[in-house]
Amino acid sequence: MSGRLLVGLLLLLLWEMAARTLAGTHLLAGPVDVAGWLFQHRGLVGRALAVTAGEAALGLLLGTLAAVLLAALAVLAPRRVAAVISLLMLFLFCLPLVATGPLLRVLWGPGLGPQVTLAALAVTFTSYLALLVGLRAAPPVWLDLVRSYGRGRLSELWHVRARGALPYVMAGLQIAAPAAFLGALVGEFTGAERGLGLLVIRALRELDAPATWGLATVAAGVTVAAHAAIAAVGRRLQAEPPLILAAAPGRLEGPLPVLAALALGLFLWAGAMEAAGLSPFFAKRPWDVWAFLFTDPEAMAHRAELALALAQTLRVAVPGYLAGLLAGAGLAALVILAPRAEAAVLPVAVALRAIPIVTTAPLLVLALGRGPAGTVTIVAVMIFFPTLVACLQGMRQTPRAVLDLFESHAAGRGARLLHAQLPAMLPAFFASARMAVPAAILAATTAEWLATGTGLGALMAVTASTSAYGMLWSATLVIALAACLAWGALGLLERAVLSRTAAEQLA
Amino acid sequence: MRVNRRGVLGFGMGGLALRGLMGGLGPALALSGGAARAQTAVALQLSWLHSVQFAGSYLAQARGYWREEGLEVSLQPGGPNAPVEPPVVSGQALVGISAADYTAAAVAQGAPFRILAVAMQKNPFAIASLPANPVRTPADLPGKRIGMALANMPVLKALCALNGIDAAGIEVVPTQYDAAPLLAGQVDCLLCWATDLPVAMAVRGIEAVTMLMADHGYALHSQTYIATDEAIASRRAELVGLLRGEARGWQACRADPDAALALTLESHPDAGLEAAVQALQLDRQLPLMVSDLTEAHGFGWFTDETVAANIRTLALLGREVSPDLWDRSLLEEAHG
Repeated sequence: MSGRLLVGLLLLLLWEMAARTLAGTHLLAGPVDVAGWLFQHRGLVGRALAVTAGEAALGLLLGTLAAVLLAALAVLAPRRVAAVISLLMLFLFCLPLVATGPLLRVLWGPGLGPQVTLAALAVTFTSYLALLVGLRAAPPVWLDLVRSYGRGRLSELWHVRARGALPYVMAGLQIAAPAAFLGALVGEFTGAERGLGLLVIRALRELDAPATWGLATVAAGVTVAAHAAIAAVGRRLQAEPPLILAAAPGRLEGPLPVLAALALGLFLWAGAMEAAGLSPFFAKRPWDVWAFLFTDPEAMAHRAELALALAQTLRVAVPGYLAGLLAGAGLAALVILAPRAEAAVLPVAVALRAIPIVTTAPLLVLALGRGPAGTVTIVAVMIFFPTLVACLQGMRQTPRAVLDLFESHAAGRGARLLHAQLPAMLPAFFASARMAVPAAILAATTAEWLATGTGLGALMAVTASTSAYGMLWSATLVIALAACLAWGALGLLERAVLSRTAAEQLA
Repeated sequence: MRVNRRGVLGFGMGGLALRGLMGGLGPALALSGGAARAQTAVALQLSWLHSVQFAGSYLAQARGYWREEGLEVSLQPGGPNAPVEPPVVSGQALVGISAADYTAAAVAQGAPFRILAVAMQKNPFAIASLPANPVRTPADLPGKRIGMALANMPVLKALCALNGIDAAGIEVVPTQYDAAPLLAGQVDCLLCWATDLPVAMAVRGIEAVTMLMADHGYALHSQTYIATDEAIASRRAELVGLLRGEARGWQACRADPDAALALTLESHPDAGLEAAVQALQLDRQLPLMVSDLTEAHGFGWFTDETVAANIRTLALLGREVSPDLWDRSLLEEAHG
C-alpha cells in the first residue's frame, strides 16, 4: 500500500516537473495549478459533471437494458439468428461518432437525446457480448436438471443462465461505465447546452491549460471511481470476474448469417430514414451511397478519394493497434516476471486510459511530432490498458498443477512464462484483440480529426462542414465494414491458434 | 416531414422523459410580460457554442424584441460536431447561422437555401503570427509554416490567388484548431478567426500579429442567416420578425456592449465563459459587423456589388453560385 502511495507521489512530482518544463507552451498544467483551478471553479465543474455523469448513467442504463433484451433473444434463438444479431450490433458499434452525432441531433432536437444515445451506443455492444458469453456459460448439468423437470427454455434462462451470467455482467459494466462517460462527453459536441464536454472544448480553444488538465483530471477520476465501484459491487455480490470476457468465436455458421445481417441492416437503415422522414440532403439511403460510389459520373473520383483516406487511416491504425497489443501483453509478462512492477505499472496504465483522448492528443503530438509516431502512440495508448488487464488475468489463471510441475523441475521464471503462462494467456489476449479493433479505429480517426488532418477522420470532419453527406455516409460505411472484416479475420486466426493451445475454449 | 420524427427509430423509450428533462433555456429567459399576442415558437440554430458571438440574439431575447414580433425564439447552440444545415433543412430550426461558403457547398448538394442577411460584413478569417516572426501582408507568407485544418486549404489558395502569391512556397501543417502549435514553435502562423485564437493569446499575455484576410481581398459573407425556400414561401412573416428582432438586438449590442457582455455571462452560467476573453472577443467582433452599408441601411445589409465580390471569391474556392443564392427582400421588410 505504501508502495502505491510512493508511486503516486512520484507521478505527481513528475507531472509538476513536466508542466514546469513546458511552461509558456500552454499545453500542460501541473497538479498545483490544476488543483487551484478546480477549487476556484468547483461550482461550475460540479454542475457540468452532474450533467455529463447523468447522461452517462442514463445511457448506461438504457444501453444495458437493450443489451439484456438482445442477449436473451440471442440465447433463446437458434445460433444462426444469434449470429445475425451479433453482426448487426457490431456494425452499429463501429459507426463513427462524427457521422452519427449530427443525425441524432436532428432526430432528437435540443436537449440530452444525442448525448444519452451515444452513451448507450458506446456500451450496448460490449455489454451484449459479456452477457452472451455469461448466459451460455451455464454448466450443462444444471440445464439438464431444468429440462428433467419438464421446464421450458424461458425458465432455463431465468433460473439457471441469468444467475450464472452475473459475473459477466459485472465485468461488462466495468468496461461499459468509462465508455458511457466518453460517449456522453463526445455527444455534447453535437450542440449541447451544458456539460463537461463543452468546458473541454472551450478550455482547449482558449489556451486554458489549468482548465484543460483540471477537466481531464475530473474525467479520469470519474472513470477510475466507476471502475472501482463496480468491482466493489461485484465482490459484494460474490461475482468474481470471469476468466475471459469474450469467448472464442462460435463455430463457423457459413455465409448465410452474414448475408442475412447485410440484408436486414440495409432494410433497417433505409426503413428508419424513410419512417423518420429525414431529408435525403443529409440522411443518405443505401441507394444514394450506391449511386455516389458506383453510378455517379464522378464515382471513380469518389472511390479514389475514399481509398486514399482509408489507406492513410490504416497506416496509423494498424501499427498503433499492434503496438498497443504488444505493449499490453509485454507489460503483463513483465508484471508476472517481476510482481513488484505492478504497483508502478497499473496506476499509470489506468490514468493513461482514463484521460479523454481530446486532451492527451495535442500533448502526445507535441512530444512525438505530427508524423505517424504521434498518432500511432495515441492509438496504442487507447488499447493497451484493456489488453494489459485481460492478459494479466489470463496468465494468473495458469493451473496451479502446471506451475508446480515447473517448480519441481526447478525451471526458471522465463521458462515458466514461455511454456505455461503465455499459452494460458492466449484466449484472453485474443478476446481483447477483437475488442480492440473498434477502439483502434475510433482512436485513429479521432487523432486524425484533431491532430493530423489526414485520413478518414479528417475526411469525415471536412465532409460534414461542407455538406458532402454522400462522402460522409460512404466513409462511415467503409469504416464500419473494415472493422467488421478485421473482427472476422481475427476470429479465424484465433480459432487456428487456440485449436493448438487451448482446444477446450472452442467447444 | 416534421410529423413524428422522433421515437420512430426505436428511441421512443426514453424520449418523453428526456424531452421533459431538457427544459429549454429560451423560454426561461424571456421575461413574462403581459403580451396578449399568441407566440409562435421558432428556433434559431447558432453556428457555435454560446458566447458573445451571439450577444445580439441574447439581447433580442431578453429585451423582448422577438416577443413584440409574436415570436418565441429558442437559440440552439452549435458545436464541433453540430453542422448548421441539417436542422434547417429538416425544419427543426427556422433560421441557421452559416457562412457564404458553407451555404454554397450545401446548395451544391441540393439544399434549397437562401442567404437573408449578413452579420459579419468583413470575413473574420485571419492569419495570426508572433511579433518575432510576423505575417503582416500576404507577401510575408512564402517560406512560412502555416498551421490550419486541411479543410481550409481552399481558403489559403484563394488568398494567394487574390494577392498573386505562389501557394507552393507555403508549408501547410495540419493542426487542430488551437493556438498551442504556434506557441510551441511547430508553426510560424495560424489560419484562424481574428475573434478567437488571437483573443485567447492576448488574454494569456501574448499579443499576436493578426492579418485580417478581408483586408487583402478575401470578400466572403460570414455569420449569414439562412433559410429554406419552403420557409421563405410559407413562413415569411416569422422570418421577417426574426430578422427584425435580431437587427434590434445587435443595434442594442453596439449601443451598449457592456450590457451585452453582462447579459451573455449571466444568462449562460454553465458555459464556462471567461469574462476577459468574452470582453475582448466582443471588442474585436463588433468592428467586423459594421460597414458603410450597415451605417446607411441597417444591420445585415448587402448589395449587388458585395454579392458580386462574394461570387468572385467563391469561384476561387471552387464554388460556382449565382446571385439568386442571396435574397434581400425579407431584410428590406424587416428594416422597412
